[in-house]
Amino acid sequence: MAENRKYLPLASTRRLEKLMTRYYFLTRYHRFWGKPLRRPLAWVTSGAPVELLRAFRIHPVYPENYGAICGTRRVSAQLCQVAEAAGYSQDLCSYARSHIGSILRPELAPMGGLPKPDLLVACNNICGTVLKWYEALARIFRVPLLVLDTPFLPGELTESAKSYVLEQLKHMADFLAHFTGRRLDRRELERHMALSKETVNLWKEIRGFCRAKPSPLNAPDLFIHMAPIVVLRGTPQAVHYYRLLRNEVNSRVQQGQGAVPGEKIRLVWDNIAIWYRIFGFFQMFSERGACFVTDTYSGGWVMELTEGDPLESLAATYTEIFLNRSPEFRARQMIELIKDYNADGFVMHSNRSCKPYSLVQEVIRRRVMQETGVPGLVVEADMADQRVFAEEPVRNRVQAFLETLSDI
Amino acid sequence: MNKYYLGIDIGSLTTKVVLVDDTGAVAARAADRSGYSGRRVAERLVEEILKEKGLDKKDISATVATGYGRVTFPADREISEITCQARGIAHLFPAARTVIDIGGQDSKVIKLLPGGKVADFAMNDKCAAGTGRFLEVMAGALEVRVEDLDDLAAQSGESCPISSICTVFAESEVISHIAAGRQKADIVAGVCASVAARVASLASRTGLEPEVVFTGGVARNKGVVNALAEHLRCRLLVPEEPEVTAALGAALLAGNIKV
Repeated sequence: MAENRKYLPLASTRRLEKLMTRYYFLTRYHRFWGKPLRRPLAWVTSGAPVELLRAFRIHPVYPENYGAICGTRRVSAQLCQVAEAAGYSQDLCSYARSHIGSILRPELAPMGGLPKPDLLVACNNICGTVLKWYEALARIFRVPLLVLDTPFLPGELTESAKSYVLEQLKHMADFLAHFTGRRLDRRELERHMALSKETVNLWKEIRGFCRAKPSPLNAPDLFIHMAPIVVLRGTPQAVHYYRLLRNEVNSRVQQGQGAVPGEKIRLVWDNIAIWYRIFGFFQMFSERGACFVTDTYSGGWVMELTEGDPLESLAATYTEIFLNRSPEFRARQMIELIKDYNADGFVMHSNRSCKPYSLVQEVIRRRVMQETGVPGLVVEADMADQRVFAEEPVRNRVQAFLETLSDI
Repeated sequence: MNKYYLGIDIGSLTTKVVLVDDTGAVAARAADRSGYSGRRVAERLVEEILKEKGLDKKDISATVATGYGRVTFPADREISEITCQARGIAHLFPAARTVIDIGGQDSKVIKLLPGGKVADFAMNDKCAAGTGRFLEVMAGALEVRVEDLDDLAAQSGESCPISSICTVFAESEVISHIAAGRQKADIVAGVCASVAARVASLASRTGLEPEVVFTGGVARNKGVVNALAEHLRCRLLVPEEPEVTAALGAALLAGNIKV
């Protein structure tokens, strides 16, 4: 029966769990090793230039990744309510609300909340919300806040935008030297950047395997296995892990194994995962033979670092992040993914939390449909706050969409 | 002997049952409030229809269920109401390219390909504004019957604007219009215009290609039909029995009867 279709689990998942457990264990007990090793802990946004921080031996921790964990464990709604009771608007990003809720009521939060930061680093290449979110954090913890302001790119990266960001990175490096008592070691920075580059290339290669029919991976695999590229980018552990994953995915392709047995429909996903329904949601598709072969979200970490001066390279890479770019750029990106991965359609998660990602989707949807001729569906939900998810209307739309792609 | 096919549409407010023969002609139909158990209502309606036609359950070759209660009914297949609605409308209006359907809790716009296949669709979000339920709440606030809304709207001289898109806030807006001594007819016209505006913005997502068919229970309301036609600046075709078109489509899909 089609209803019993499940997709194939990856053996690498156990290694992934070990790796992430180790990272969060070290993070949790940072207070025991951070001081003696002179390695401060920084809370950073997902688009922060982490390679520079690593060069100063700073331990980065990602509240956004933590928000995704709260979502997956289905405690976000409760934590969001704590933040709302403290006056934060329900319209605010659910990662921000979950995180602020975890600070106010750590006993409700996974791992008892994140350990207190010595430093905050926010880069607005992913959204403007992070600025106010991190300002609130700076007020709560009374620690320095570093902001990297990356101007929005209506077209291509300009020289003036690049030098504006580069100037800030230089200031940031000066501050970090003063803050950590270490000098910027260029070789150390280049080492972390090389590790980042290798991680990104492996991630790109793994994603590329999904051009195969059937696709060796489905969207939930991509969402789960992207964790190391977010929190461990620029480390040898991330490189080791993605080599392992690359080998497993490659062997799937060699054996013609698909993530969704009997793959009939190939789809592209847009926007952040619906963490609290990560399997249930995609099962609505996989049970009808539909596989998400690629996505714009976990693909956002395929950000290639260019050669040349390391700081200049960081300035360009972190300014050119897709969420910092025009609807035209994003429509083009979607069109290319559809062609490249031979997709039959696409699904856009209109994510109540993530305004820069979601607001332009209708414009992009129309353009992509016009140019590719494949249908696109918009599903309304939220990445972490499960109160926003309405099961029946979503199921209804998904079913109708898949019916348009099959012969009824 | 003739073959018969059943289409069952268990909606949020009403349950509709349509029986067609193998040529696609409607042999019988019935509808009632879904109430607590749409499935039981559907089963009763099926029994009534079979009795009326002197048929037995064995005479039914296939059944398709659609609507929110579709998974509860023991049919041969369940198909979303978007696909069913498209098929039903294409059967009645082969030239239709756009379907506007306003039901109890959903409003949707469906773009059709020739033959009744769905090219694209847009639905209202979780909010019930611009749906049948919205009209019921407003009728309740005005203490009039839903069926009387269109006569009232026709008597309006100057409609009262309803600016809120939220059903709850719109209801309090209606109440303040009543308190301000505005004519019932003018308030009703405002309510109809607000439904039309809401659906028109939905239609702009898929685009409007003629012929445009307006169906679903709310299409019985001439106040909304007129307001919508005015808003969209196009001619609207309305089926004779707009509430059963999805059930009709389900029955046609059960028999695999092509347009």
